Amino acid sequence: MKPDTLRRYETPHEDVSPVLSWWAGGIGIGLVLIVAVALVQPIGVSSQYVVLDGVLLHNVLPDVASKSPYLVKATEGWTLATYEFFFVLGIPLGALGAAIATARFTTRVVPVEWSRRFGSNPGRRLVWSFIGGFLLLFGARFGGGCTSGHMISGISQLAIGSFVFSTALFISGIITARILYRDGEMRC
Amino acid sequence: MLMLALGLMLGAAFGALLQLSGASSHTKIVNALRLKDLTIMKLILMAIGVGLMGVHLLDLFGLANMKVKDLYLLGIVIAGVIFGVGFAITGYCPGTALAACAEGKLDAWVTVMGGLGGALVFAFIFPEIEESLLAVGRYGPVTIPSLLGTHGILIAAPLGIVCIWLAMRLPNPGGAR
Repeated sequence: MKPDTLRRYETPHEDVSPVLSWWAGGIGIGLVLIVAVALVQPIGVSSQYVVLDGVLLHNVLPDVASKSPYLVKATEGWTLATYEFFFVLGIPLGALGAAIATARFTTRVVPVEWSRRFGSNPGRRLVWSFIGGFLLLFGARFGGGCTSGHMISGISQLAIGSFVFSTALFISGIITARILYRDGEMRC
Repeated sequence: MLMLALGLMLGAAFGALLQLSGASSHTKIVNALRLKDLTIMKLILMAIGVGLMGVHLLDLFGLANMKVKDLYLLGIVIAGVIFGVGFAITGYCPGTALAACAEGKLDAWVTVMGGLGGALVFAFIFPEIEESLLAVGRYGPVTIPSLLGTHGILIAAPLGIVCIWLAMRLPNPGGAR
């Protein structure tokens, strides 16, 4: 085995250097959007979290689910067999294929940059991952879209709401990251 | 059935691109927000630059299926701020978290579970704020060309070129070797 391959299995953290260059990845994502707009509609992800919520809730407590006008509107007919849901389902499948093909499958729990600042305690990372995920989708549904729907699809359509959302997102994200990871560089 | 297969294929292409470009890495996202490694910014600018020109070129020939999101000023600003905080904490967005799940990252699975919770809570809060908070500065699905009364390509083409130029000009430490 080459030393390079050996190192990959020994290191506790994932290999963070991308396989594709930014321009190739960017052109690829742009092309996916163009094909999607030509054939169906712009790409979007966050609405399908609501759809999955709605369908799951409707299975357990159909009365509660039917009382929410937002869930009723988001999940037409309480089904997951839609183009939109299958697009989102495709994301992990494609990522899994790419990770396996490039030997980048990893079971690490605590990311490098996180452990530099907050230590390698997995419990702490998981609790904050849940809180962060909650805020992420709460914010995305509040604003009507996420990085895919607002930033990539929305700005490509010159939608003013998407410019506003993306600007607010980046200002808030940059400030939060500054505060959260401020000591990260000291131990490099 | 054909539509489901098409969705799965486009989604898989998107997921593979996110994974291969490093967008599903917490470290890459956080360092982009800390302005230490702008690879992800360059990636997004390039995607938007290509998207702007392609989508409006399709639109010029009446071939684009547009779906423009509503503008409701106050709500969208608050939403963007909340999203940004979550983005910096998790280092994932709703799409890249799914890609990271498939790579075996347990913190991404928990992020998705948190996300399902956040989306569900918002679904039940929505009726309470629909006619108050979300009505402040509500203008519907406005775009820059609709506001100026021009054709989209006249704005999309130069803006797309600016995005791609900016993507090329930003420094690139930590990119693909």
